[in-house]
Amino acid sequence: MAFTLYALLQAALLFVNAIAVLHEERFLRNVGWGTEQGIGGFGEEPGIKAQLMNLIRSVRTVMRGKMKSTV
Amino acid sequence: MADPHQLFDDTSATAPGRGYAAQQSPPVGYPAQGSFLAEPMSSFAMTYGSTLASHGKEIVDKNIDRFIPVTKLKYYFAVDTVYVGKKLGLLLFPFMHQDWQVRYQQDTPVAPRFDINAPDLYIPVMAFITYILVAGLALGTQNRFSPDILGLQASSALAWLIVEVLAILLSLYLVTVNTDLTTIDLVAFSGYKYVGMIVGIVSGLLFGKTGYYLLLSWCCLSIFVFMIRTLRLKILSEAAAEGVLVRGAKNQLRMYLTMAIAALQPLFMYWLTYHLVR
Repeated sequence: MAFTLYALLQAALLFVNAIAVLHEERFLRNVGWGTEQGIGGFGEEPGIKAQLMNLIRSVRTVMRGKMKSTV
Repeated sequence: MADPHQLFDDTSATAPGRGYAAQQSPPVGYPAQGSFLAEPMSSFAMTYGSTLASHGKEIVDKNIDRFIPVTKLKYYFAVDTVYVGKKLGLLLFPFMHQDWQVRYQQDTPVAPRFDINAPDLYIPVMAFITYILVAGLALGTQNRFSPDILGLQASSALAWLIVEVLAILLSLYLVTVNTDLTTIDLVAFSGYKYVGMIVGIVSGLLFGKTGYYLLLSWCCLSIFVFMIRTLRLKILSEAAAEGVLVRGAKNQLRMYLTMAIAALQPLFMYWLTYHLVR
């Protein structure tokens, strides 16, 4: 079972790319995973779904780099 | 040859004139074999080289802490023979141990030398290397050995370790656990399963498939119990760790997470060793 480090690198890259291409407006809102609806109250601890949406949003922000932010 | 005056001040004992004289003399005859070190140019070169080397060493020393937390790593290698022996015994038979809490000393955990419950990196690193050697041995007894297989096994096991640590980190983030588990702690805990794997493979070599399955299931069970008892204190809240049944979705989720992490260990132990024992 030849799971090399290079294969790991490829898998990680593809995975991060997959998260980065999830478009906020066209897709995530329709599914119900848009970040405006998710983060609700301030006092209550965020559940798993809110954490996931936060994660997706931060990955997209980091991956966007120097492009102009268009949400 | 580089003109020394353009690089820096002439610090050698010889005057610059002798340098020029030496350059004019090559057509006359090359210096004898042993005396090239006496040439003013080469003493120059040596001084320059040594200043370069010490410069580089300074830069490395200043910046190494940015990439590899050296001081933090030293804590994980502060072990002695007694600790290693007891810890190995604990990894293979964790059922009698009562107190799993790490002792603290003014807000920092005590070094592994003084507390058997503290995680260390010595055993995982040694077990990893031993696993690769034992895997090579096992493949050799089946005439399946070639030198590049060692590298393949090593990178494969390392890649799975990285995947496991990343998965645990991700799940800890998603469940918003407030814990003092660092990444290095997780690497240490994930590395403890190599001890069981080595025991399994060696028994497979000595006693065949039955010995392998027997001892591997024993080691899987002990690693499972070990991980649950160790992680329970770190991931669950204080009350739940005491053994009191605390209701609530949050604690339940954390308990499931602990069990999932612990269940991952036997899975990987089997996955990484079954192809070595035929």
